[in-house]
Amino acid sequence: MEIKVEGGGEFANASYTSVCNDVFRDVGLRSNIERVYMYCNAAEHVFIISIKIGRVPSPVKVWDVTLREGDKLRITKEEYAPKLLALLWDRYGERVQQESRLIIRFELEEEEVAKLNELVVYDPKEDLTVRMLDGIDRILPEGARVRYPIPFAEGQEGMTIIASENPISDEWKVKAKELIGGVALSGGGA
Amino acid sequence: MYKIMMFSGGVYKFNELREIVEDIGGFILQSMVMQTETMMHLAFPVEEEPRIRAKAKELGGKLKDLPLGGAEIMVVVPSLGKHHAVDPMCDIAEFLRRNGAITDMMGLARGVGRRIAQMTVEERAIINECDAAVFVFGNFKECIEEKVKLCEMIDVPYIIVGGPPASDVDLPHYVGGVGRRTSRMKRKEDIEKLNEMAMALADVLEEKRIELEEDPLATSPLFIKEMIEMLLTPKATEEFPIVIHMDGLRVKVEAEDEEKIRDIEIGKRKLSEICEIKKSLYEGYLLEILPEAVAGEIF
Repeated sequence: MEIKVEGGGEFANASYTSVCNDVFRDVGLRSNIERVYMYCNAAEHVFIISIKIGRVPSPVKVWDVTLREGDKLRITKEEYAPKLLALLWDRYGERVQQESRLIIRFELEEEEVAKLNELVVYDPKEDLTVRMLDGIDRILPEGARVRYPIPFAEGQEGMTIIASENPISDEWKVKAKELIGGVALSGGGA
Repeated sequence: MYKIMMFSGGVYKFNELREIVEDIGGFILQSMVMQTETMMHLAFPVEEEPRIRAKAKELGGKLKDLPLGGAEIMVVVPSLGKHHAVDPMCDIAEFLRRNGAITDMMGLARGVGRRIAQMTVEERAIINECDAAVFVFGNFKECIEEKVKLCEMIDVPYIIVGGPPASDVDLPHYVGGVGRRTSRMKRKEDIEKLNEMAMALADVLEEKRIELEEDPLATSPLFIKEMIEMLLTPKATEEFPIVIHMDGLRVKVEAEDEEKIRDIEIGKRKLSEICEIKKSLYEGYLLEILPEAVAGEIF
């Protein structure tokens, strides 16, 4: 993840770089974000943050998180256990039972087991936007509550948000597009 | 003039130290025995320091100076959101406690932003109940310079902690280099920064202490604390029912005990004659000790 912070002075730029790093690690997006650009203008109280999404991991399927042992499944990644159990109970009801913390017993036909292995337990894309917005909310100064989103061009994933405590003028909307465009040209990012 | 220090050591004969402190007219502010370890906050006359040091050495314990001992400090942040808590707000409060202060923490209801930052009358009154305040602001010089208006509204001494280095910000009692944090301040340079902050706070408290020495109080808050504790023994689960201020006390008692406190005899006077007693907006009752010049002699 490449982070660039401008306009806030030496200390603020360094501090916001580390804030961006830590926040996106906390929301679990560090490896999915290609580039973060932030522009701070404290004098006019305008903050622009632009995020470009890179590679998003493929959906996690049942066979990714379990190991088959006869008519049982052993959960190998426990963090997915609640989602996996909810999915299996929803689909197969009482034919699937949790025998112990990591062991699931099932009474299914062989074709059903093949289909079961292909079920999607968790798709990282489904809550990507929510997590990204949560991260942005944690990074931007708390007082900057007036927000203006700028959508990305088609074919690109990500978002840009202008935030301020004052109404956001058209001048800033234009300037934000210029800034992001400039970054895209110079760094090939957002 | 009392000196406040912390003794930490083993339990062997530590009662002897307690007895010496009481014999020389000192007070035990806090005492904690944890299996084989003890920790005590002691207040004793300054001139008796060599005697206390000698006893601590004999017992094989350590004495640490507490520059903020006997003061209640309010740590004020613009809000209690994750932008300010837990880092650096709790790091700062913890460090102040390690230096002997009793700390309270406050998130302002409308403290965020630059132009829109405000402080309510009630918040200001609660901050004024403490001995000093530490305002924790963010990374931008422009915002800090605008937000000083909040600090200037309060009557107690304060320091401001922010991001930009002190050389860039032209404000009194400002400590830079902290700013927004997302991790604990535990590295060497962070600890140095916190030390610098604690020393800046000790300096502003020293100014208040000198003012109090010029117009001395009718009696010491430590003495009143002991008199109250003789009358109202703390309940088993209570912690810090009495918090010492530089010029008074915060007594955390129920409303039914208020009359008992008013009638406590201090020398030949009643406590209500030498103190202004009022209900705290935050917790318990505030006892503001009147200067000797106003209250007269008590013995």
